[in-house]
Amino acid sequence: MRFYTFVFKNVVRRRVRSTLTVIGMALAVGAVVALVGVSRSTEQSFMDIYQRQNTPIIVQQRGAKQRLTSVLSEKLGEEIEKIPGVKHANGGLVDFTSLEQLGADAVIVQGWRPGSPLMKNLNILPGGRNISPDDKHCVLLGDQLAIALEKKVGDKLSLYESGEYVVVGIFESHIGYESRSMVMRLSELQRFMGRPGQVSGFAVLVDRPDEPKEIERICAAISALGPRIDAKSAVDSVKDTAEIRFINAMAWIVSAIAIIIGVVLMLNTMIMSVSERTREIGILRAIGWGRLRIVRMILVEAFLLSLCGGVLGSIAAIGLTRALSQHPDVAGLIDAHIGPGVIAFGIVCSLLVGVLGAAYPALRGAQLLPTEALRHE
Amino acid sequence: MNKRRRDNFIFRTEHLSKLYPDGQVHALEDVEIDVRRGEYVAIMGPSGSGKSTLLNLLGALDRPTSGEVYYDGRPYSKVRNLERVRSQQFGFVFQSFHLLPILTALENVQVPMFEGPLGAAARVAKAKELLALVGMEHRADHMPQKLSVGERQRVAIARSLANDPSVILADEPTGNLDSHSAEGVFELFAHLHEDRGLTVVLITHDEEFGRLAQRTIRMQDGRIRSDVYAEDRRFYTPLPPFAVQ
Repeated sequence: MRFYTFVFKNVVRRRVRSTLTVIGMALAVGAVVALVGVSRSTEQSFMDIYQRQNTPIIVQQRGAKQRLTSVLSEKLGEEIEKIPGVKHANGGLVDFTSLEQLGADAVIVQGWRPGSPLMKNLNILPGGRNISPDDKHCVLLGDQLAIALEKKVGDKLSLYESGEYVVVGIFESHIGYESRSMVMRLSELQRFMGRPGQVSGFAVLVDRPDEPKEIERICAAISALGPRIDAKSAVDSVKDTAEIRFINAMAWIVSAIAIIIGVVLMLNTMIMSVSERTREIGILRAIGWGRLRIVRMILVEAFLLSLCGGVLGSIAAIGLTRALSQHPDVAGLIDAHIGPGVIAFGIVCSLLVGVLGAAYPALRGAQLLPTEALRHE
Repeated sequence: MNKRRRDNFIFRTEHLSKLYPDGQVHALEDVEIDVRRGEYVAIMGPSGSGKSTLLNLLGALDRPTSGEVYYDGRPYSKVRNLERVRSQQFGFVFQSFHLLPILTALENVQVPMFEGPLGAAARVAKAKELLALVGMEHRADHMPQKLSVGERQRVAIARSLANDPSVILADEPTGNLDSHSAEGVFELFAHLHEDRGLTVVLITHDEEFGRLAQRTIRMQDGRIRSDVYAEDRRFYTPLPPFAVQ
């Protein structure tokens, strides 16, 4: 028998102790992975929207941390398009509206110009079509929103107390934020919101989107157009958005609490586990095991248990967030995609906490004289 | 020949005392004994007389409050790696066996060998050999809880031999055994002493088994009350009891 075989058997054959430790670890890691994962995926979903639209630059009103409060003149688009290297400046207006009669109280409405690249990039599902420049009182629904509102192509819905709108198309999106939104003509949304000639911001397409220096140069040129104008790369813009920062801050606070609870839980589990084995440590010391070997045994065991806990916790977090994100109240609002980075973070976290949590009782146990350990009840 | 000659000692103690701080109990008080290489020594005495404390100090399982233990002429206080001495020179046998419940008999015997030079395959071969020596080869794959108490003690004795020790230290090895099993265990110790030349120091309450040893040390109130060699037993007169301290 090899030493590591012995350690492995110690873990496998003490089923109750090992299972309880793994469950404790999995709960802590699962909470961390789920919370950090949801936070990260929400941020990523905003990024995905811009990537799908090939939008490298976002222009907003300086100081406006929320898209809803940003106000810019629609005419600014023409000036932006004059800057060398800019392909298109797509003005858009964003609003949140309530469709209480349909059971949806927070629907994102986006106003875009028909025929603009933003509109053209939508993936309209078969049976529907895009909004054309001649259309009036027409909307496109995101697939999740269509499900939530129980609407299909050809159906009508009341908006802004100004008559009925026809659903001419349903677009598919794997991005939660987008799939739960509605798209209409910019001019109509401007009228309803009482903001004629205004937009929330511009999505700027450039000739060379892969060159960071070029992006930087164009951002500087756009920002120089006026003191109220703030142009940023899509990445920076998303990171600077108040909603994302709020979600991230919340997720990190809850994650930190989850990590602290996880550490305490692990520490408690490991101390109990090692204390329970003090007599065994005494036996091993009496038959000649050195302190280092005792510590090594406990740390390797902790590593194995933490690894199992980390993997199980991550799997549980993926399953749980996926299941919860299907719930009608949150479908489309929360993205359930937990990336490999977050899973790696969760597992590394569990290994570090597990091994550090075991180190203290391991060292304490190994310091005992064999007779002290053997007397332990 | 004088049996108390002062050469070839494997153990020697000088003014050995052990005071347990909880209750200020003197478990051992100024004990001076020596054990020669290859001796078979039985330590006897009532409960609380200091037998286990003495055995633990000889086996470096505990530290004395004052005094010194010498093993092979070297004082423990000067030995840097007592763990190594313990693992390579001593084999311990306990009253309650102290086998690891999650390991089979064969695996239990291999546990001390991690500190030795043998590879995995050699450990298995040696453990089988030792189980055969104690008559337990047919129970090699059994977990301790599936063995009788006598069988568990045999496995524990096999484990004590794992690193080819010079000394077996046994603390009431038959305390939990029926008379038949106890007899078998003492036969084993006699065999290890005679055929393998091991030094055996054991604690027993049983007068009959105590007489099997070459030498009997009797303790009372933390002190040596008598120290008698088998040949001298017929002339043995117990020493007068100590005055109450």
